[in-house]
Amino acid sequence: MIRRTRYVASEAFPRSRRRRAADVAFRVGALAALAIVVAPVVWVMADVVARAIPHWRWSVLVTSTVGTGGGLENAILGTLVLLLGVLVLAGTVGILAGVYLAEFAGLGRSGKPRGRLLRAATEILSGVPSIALGLVGYLALVTGFHWGYSLLAALIVLSVMVIPYIARGTETALRQVPTSYREGAQALGMPAGYALRKVILRTAFPGIVTSLLIALAISGGETAPLLYTAGWFTGTPRASLLHQPIGYLTYPVWTFWDYPSNEAHYLAFDAALILLVIVLVLLVTARVIVNRTQRFAESRRP
Amino acid sequence: MANDGEHQATSRPIIGTTDSRSEERIDPILAALDPDRERPEHVICSQSLTLSFGQKRILDSITIEFRRGSITALIGPTGCGKTTFLRTLNRMNDKIPGFRYSGDVTLEGESIWGPSQDLLDLRRRVGMLFQRPNPFPMSIRDNVVAGVKAHRIAKGKQLDVLAEERLRQVGLWEAVKDRLNDSPFRLSGGQQQLLCLARALAVGPEVLLLDEPTSALDPISTEYIEQLLRQLTPALTLIIVTHNLGQARRISHNTMFLYEGELVEHGPTEDVFERSREERTQVYVTGRMG
Ligand SMILES: Nc1ncnc2c1ncn2[C@@H]1O[C@H](COP(=O)(O)OP(=O)(O)OP(=O)(O)O)[C@@H](O)[C@H]1O
Ligand SMILES: [Mg+2]
Repeated sequence: MIRRTRYVASEAFPRSRRRRAADVAFRVGALAALAIVVAPVVWVMADVVARAIPHWRWSVLVTSTVGTGGGLENAILGTLVLLLGVLVLAGTVGILAGVYLAEFAGLGRSGKPRGRLLRAATEILSGVPSIALGLVGYLALVTGFHWGYSLLAALIVLSVMVIPYIARGTETALRQVPTSYREGAQALGMPAGYALRKVILRTAFPGIVTSLLIALAISGGETAPLLYTAGWFTGTPRASLLHQPIGYLTYPVWTFWDYPSNEAHYLAFDAALILLVIVLVLLVTARVIVNRTQRFAESRRP
Repeated sequence: MANDGEHQATSRPIIGTTDSRSEERIDPILAALDPDRERPEHVICSQSLTLSFGQKRILDSITIEFRRGSITALIGPTGCGKTTFLRTLNRMNDKIPGFRYSGDVTLEGESIWGPSQDLLDLRRRVGMLFQRPNPFPMSIRDNVVAGVKAHRIAKGKQLDVLAEERLRQVGLWEAVKDRLNDSPFRLSGGQQQLLCLARALAVGPEVLLLDEPTSALDPISTEYIEQLLRQLTPALTLIIVTHNLGQARRISHNTMFLYEGELVEHGPTEDVFERSREERTQVYVTGRMG
């Protein structure tokens, strides 16, 4: 229907050659950009799948690593534990920081910007290479505090790494909430915190979920900081925050590739595939959650 | 216009006043039943209110009183400070950088900036309707009771009763009763504005501030809302900003004309329009000025 209408309209008002040329150029440019974005994704996914599938064994999911062979259960569970921990720790801190930046900083009556320090800190943090964070975490937490390779050290380093993304994402999402919602809530005499929870955060929710998702994808895919803080462990994760190393999926991808055995190589690709699937599942889950909660969003006007 | 006069006359009889002349005409029984009999005749008084944002003076020594149960139209060319004045009355300007004021505004005889004034309750008592309908991103029912929940005025089953009552009051019930759990953004613009009105009425305001509430609506919806606003008096006191001079004449008892932050003229609507004392008013109401 839409296509048809547009066709008719363009016949009724023939465009000049120049405009048509510009139009074509723009379309080609947009398609090229799309290809540049999509091609590597498809390529990586196809490559990982193609290399992992031919020798895929389901037992990989339920057996632990033995040396450079065996399965990946320990690493899968370890990654899931890490993701959950990051979600809780970085999610809480990051969202609170974002709420502060968007809602409470810079609203000073004198107009002098507050929250400058926090904003600068998040900016600097997001620029620090993850391997540097890992090293600092190692020196401070693993050896400095004598925590050893441990879940807590890994969580803290990963969280420090992704909090800037979450804070920034939350702040941006909150700033995009229409003023009319805020004023409507204000005019009804809603307490600020109540309006924030019931009206404003609700509207900003998709943006916040997206930033959480990016944070989780980044932490799931990180290797460098984990090598320094989590160590590596071939058993299932233990319920211990300190002095207990933990496995994770990027470890086999990174290290096993260097071993001269086929089994080690296979595990490396299996781990990459599983990581990919985890990220995809996260993506879909986030979409579903957003769609569920955005039933009443203004943009969903059909 | 004849209609206006009639409306004015019939809407006032049971309101007790301190004026002894009208006291004689009031039925003593009705007067005793009047819930407002002990209260001051003027709900809101602005006393030499001067307001500026930074160096810029927006309102200049505005003194006016709003009689209980009346509709006052606030007119004036664009940028003259109508919205600013309206937003001052429920203290929505307080947080704007550089906000300064002198003079005072009283609600029921008490300064709105007074130490014992609860800001949130003040806003509950002085409601506001905006130019563009702004329902919240929640279901239609939740929209109506959003303020009620925030103020904990009612809960549970009462909320449903209240939602229905208010939706009926604004004439929206029949249209939405089967889709109370739908998104409000599927309603038409006029219906959305009615929903916002229901939401504002649900918290039990005494004063309603309306900032060009119908300028985004078609003539039919506009007429409907005007008629509805008339029915809200004398229980409520309304102040309505409008660029539509016809609307001002149709629905208001009193009119105030603001020009560059100055209250040039105010009084009964008919006087302001037909017998303006000021040259500037005359030029404006006869359409010779933006
Ligand atoms: N937040 C603000 N900060 C600084 N100046 C402001 C602010 N809001 C309004 N003003 C200024 O105050 C003056 C009055 O604005 P206001 O919005 O009250 O006009 P208005 O009469 O409602 O106009 P309109 O009919 O176009 O709605 C304008 O000059 C405007 O620039
Ligand atoms: Mg205005």
